[in-house]
Amino acid sequence: MTTPVIWVDGLRKAYTGGLEALKGISFEVAPGEVFGLLGPNGAGKTTTVGVLTTTVRPTAGKIEVAGHDVVREPLAVRRETGVVFQDSVLDNDFSGLENLQLHARLWRVPKNEARERTASLLEIMDLTTRAADSVRTYSGGMRRRLEIARALLAAPRVLFLDEPTVGLDPAVRGSIWNVIRQLRDREQVTIVLTTHYLEEAEAVCDRVAIVNEGQIIALDKPRALLEAFGSEVLELQVDGDPRNAVTALLSLEARDPQVIGGTVTVPLQNGSQDTGAIIEAVRGAGVSLAAVAVRRSTLNDVFMRLTGTRLNGNSLN
Amino acid sequence: MIQTATFGLGTLYRRRLAVSTRTASGMIGQVVPPLLWVLVLAPALDTALGSFNPQVDYYTYVALAQVAFLIPFTSMFSGINVIVDKDFGVLRELLVAPVFRAAIPLANALGVMTVALVQVAILVGFGILRGAEFDTSPAGVAWFLAACSLLSLSTYGIAETLALLIGRQEAYGPMIPAVGVTPWFLAGSLFPITLLPAGIEQVSLFLPWTHALALMRYGMMQDIDPGLADIWGMDSNGTMALLSLLALVAYAALTLFIAIRVFYRKSTS
Repeated sequence: MTTPVIWVDGLRKAYTGGLEALKGISFEVAPGEVFGLLGPNGAGKTTTVGVLTTTVRPTAGKIEVAGHDVVREPLAVRRETGVVFQDSVLDNDFSGLENLQLHARLWRVPKNEARERTASLLEIMDLTTRAADSVRTYSGGMRRRLEIARALLAAPRVLFLDEPTVGLDPAVRGSIWNVIRQLRDREQVTIVLTTHYLEEAEAVCDRVAIVNEGQIIALDKPRALLEAFGSEVLELQVDGDPRNAVTALLSLEARDPQVIGGTVTVPLQNGSQDTGAIIEAVRGAGVSLAAVAVRRSTLNDVFMRLTGTRLNGNSLN
Repeated sequence: MIQTATFGLGTLYRRRLAVSTRTASGMIGQVVPPLLWVLVLAPALDTALGSFNPQVDYYTYVALAQVAFLIPFTSMFSGINVIVDKDFGVLRELLVAPVFRAAIPLANALGVMTVALVQVAILVGFGILRGAEFDTSPAGVAWFLAACSLLSLSTYGIAETLALLIGRQEAYGPMIPAVGVTPWFLAGSLFPITLLPAGIEQVSLFLPWTHALALMRYGMMQDIDPGLADIWGMDSNGTMALLSLLALVAYAALTLFIAIRVFYRKSTS
């Protein structure tokens, strides 16, 4: 088996005041993997990245990054890692190029190598023509691309991307996803990405850990998580009390019907062939259906099933 | 080991200098009030009031006091950069860099000290042009520079600590004159500390301003009582200068140590 590049065992973090942000999480990340930490705000994703990047002290647990203990060898860990933070963290007094040069000096990248990698990364990120401009003049997408370039400048073994597309418009988000996919192929870097965007986790992650209230509640490949849940979802928009529909569905032994407002969702285990029987049973119970739809299941459905809440925080009935 | 411990200090120091020089308005703004004193107010005071001691060149006496005014003011002003780096700047990037965290506040302190020394050079230059009579012997300049440097490091340690603890520009701003300027009035700037009210004189003995100013005058003004005897009550100026120098070293070490400890505590949760 390949030696994991990140090894986390029983990680706990309790802040002063008693808030327990992480309640004993464990996971491993293989070299070259894109690993996603998916969960709502406050789930513990950023705290996890904070521990892995040595800015948050763990309360308990054994954590190694690139073979180094994060508590005993923080400098060695930092030499092997690059970080793109949730908020833009650029030196606003400098140009894009100067921001990269500062990073190269701090990470001790030899001058020639720094020059070559800077040119190459600026090209990949489509920033060559704007490199000499002050970063104050950059758009949100440009700043984010520059930050990714900066984090990669020292050729880290592990790249941490904390909510890399938050606040960006869909087109820019798509371009960042492309960049992440390219990086994995081109740089052979291990990427740990936190996100609360389901489509982002599905689009770019090899494996996803679903985090909720400081615990990992599921960990697998996105496809495997979806298949275990059911590849499709039947949505029934009900006229009247949806609980009657749920009662009918439970009598059918339908798995995990969930109610959101006036809509009942049911995962379909055997594909669309379940649909007719379910609709018939619901109507047979005297429930009037305003609309029926079948759609592909998402990680949000998986999250709802596991936690009873949506990723955006709305509780289910 | 030393090389590892100090790695990044040079890079961070150059960054701090670059940030300071790119906000030229701040640098110039800090120099203007003391320059006004040196060029206008000090000569006017000299003419209007003379001196507490006819043997003292009061204009030069006050001009040197402005150096002790400028340095802490620049230090305190630079505390704003600590907050800006934390809130809008690159501090988080620096915290994940493979450098010892202590290098970050230390580089800031050295960068601010360099800026302050350049400002002092400008001030002294204008003072000489206006007629101040400084002793520019190598030994005198060495005492003067040591006092300036240590006063800068001491007061920057205070500034960094306050900026980290306060954390907000709007709350830190009023501290600049309160902490950066107020002690100057009690440090023997315009008259010897023995003329201060009882009690306040004792307080002044514990201010780095007082020791720095006495050392500056010991270095740059020949044949006058620099005020060292008012602090130490001894006969030998050389011994007293050494004691004040050690006091300043202790102040600088203590305030920077506290700043680094606070920085560690604030930067790692």
